[in-house]
Amino acid sequence: MKTKKQKRNNWILVIIMLIASLFFLFPVIWMLANSFKTDAAITSDMNSMAAFIPPALDGSFFDNYITVLTNTSFVRYMTNTLVYAAVLIILSIIVNGLAGYALAKINFPFRERWLMIIMLLMIVPMETIITIHFLFIGKLGLLNTVLGYILPMIVNPFNIFLFRQVFISLPDEVYEAAQLDHCSPLKYFFTMVLPMSKSVVATVSVFTFLNVWNDYLWPSLVFTSGDLLTAQIGLNAITSNENTTMGQTLAVITMVTIPVIIIYSFFSKQIVEGVVSTGSKEG
Amino acid sequence: MKKRAEAIRGMAFFGPALVLLTVFLFLPMILTLVFSFTDFFALNPKLTHFVGLDNFAQILKDEYFRKAFINTVCFVIIIVPLQGLGALGLALLINKAAYCKKYFKVAFFLPVVMSLAVVSTLWMQIYSPEGILNSILSNFGIAAQPFIHSASQALPSIAIMSAWQGVGYQMIIFLGGLQAINPALYEAADMDHATGWQKFKDITLPELKPLCIFVFITITIGAFRMLVQPMVMTGGGPSYSTYTMVYDIYETGTVNWEIGLASSMAIIFAIFVMILTIIQTILTSDKEGENENKKAKKK
Repeated sequence: MKTKKQKRNNWILVIIMLIASLFFLFPVIWMLANSFKTDAAITSDMNSMAAFIPPALDGSFFDNYITVLTNTSFVRYMTNTLVYAAVLIILSIIVNGLAGYALAKINFPFRERWLMIIMLLMIVPMETIITIHFLFIGKLGLLNTVLGYILPMIVNPFNIFLFRQVFISLPDEVYEAAQLDHCSPLKYFFTMVLPMSKSVVATVSVFTFLNVWNDYLWPSLVFTSGDLLTAQIGLNAITSNENTTMGQTLAVITMVTIPVIIIYSFFSKQIVEGVVSTGSKEG
Repeated sequence: MKKRAEAIRGMAFFGPALVLLTVFLFLPMILTLVFSFTDFFALNPKLTHFVGLDNFAQILKDEYFRKAFINTVCFVIIIVPLQGLGALGLALLINKAAYCKKYFKVAFFLPVVMSLAVVSTLWMQIYSPEGILNSILSNFGIAAQPFIHSASQALPSIAIMSAWQGVGYQMIIFLGGLQAINPALYEAADMDHATGWQKFKDITLPELKPLCIFVFITITIGAFRMLVQPMVMTGGGPSYSTYTMVYDIYETGTVNWEIGLASSMAIIFAIFVMILTIIQTILTSDKEGENENKKAKKK
């Protein structure tokens, strides 16, 4: 079917795009290559192609990474963020999941009205009320505590709506059968509803993780100092320190990105589905 | 009796979310609205007065808020065509590419994976006066540029960086849209010996129009909320050239503690974002309904 000319055009397009993609990715390539170099080497390589090539693999290859891991609180900040994310994933599945289930399946007063309010809340930008959150958490004496950081982040109208949309198509027969077995509503929710809706649970988990991992403004307000910082705030603390070299800065930002790359490579399907169904990612 | 039990069960399930919604969404929203008509100063709350619309009058006259508003609008004007058309162009090219499709998707999506703080930190090095970008430009005979260190270039520099970071995200959305176009349309056009441009103009573009509206408004809303990049890279400077609306709300409310004033700014900001969101919902809701139907039929 395909003529020779078409085939040649195909190759030209692919080659042009390969070159374009290299230009597009030059900051990332430069970051990776230079995260293994000393500052002297970074500066001296700057004006040649060597700027995009990692140094020879010798004993000092991982020096920047080792310095960051041993001499700074980097590991601590990474662990903090992973713990916050894990706690928030669990809480947000329970709280938003239960609410979504109630809105989908249980007949309670003003249900339709609540649903409409939840949908309206989805359009309120969080930046509007973050000052008040800060005021509240300060008044409660929870500044610079994990609880103060987590409390405002648990409930999320998007997640409630996402759960509701999935739960509404669950068959009622299963619930009736469970009732005959004297299964309590809560037990039914945790042992039947959630396992039947693995896909939405995964979507909410992934988005909650990404939100916690990438969030900047709220943790920078709550955590004023010390050991509780998240990775994003911590990376700023480390890289703005005078003793941190350029190579170490690049090593820090490379390592902060690794968990997200892992998440994306495992859950790309859920993420793309989430992108298409909710349209926008938070923040 | 059964009905009452169900009502109790429903409130029990909805209760935890309702408590948190009340404390962290309803109450803050009401307070923001109330505070916006007062001179509430968090360090001396006892001296709070009702001041009517004074805050709004003051903001509209305030040099920094006006600057922040203009900067935000400029940022939107630069980034929306750049990122939106960039994403569409990339999606069209990748859709056309016969080989390495998967590599292209990953390559152009990669910056999306990086957080704003990471991207900002990285590009501070890239944009440095002796940095790699100036070194590359010098190969093309272009003199060294100050980028984020000059008042005239800082905002466009941040906009280009932000478009670079976000373009892959909308590219994936457009690719999904392109793949959903019925191939029979193109086959019919081929029978009529339509040129590539005609096919693009008469089939691709009309079919993608709802998605385009959606994507462009999404980028606009995101751009309106811009904050992290100047916070990390420039601190709003040089000479307030990268100061944005959200930056002003943040500084007024949480640094200067002028909650009343910050609330008024937040109300103005929220009105803009909410109008955009409502327009987006209205313009795209029909199309989404269609998509749902298509999906259902496929299954």
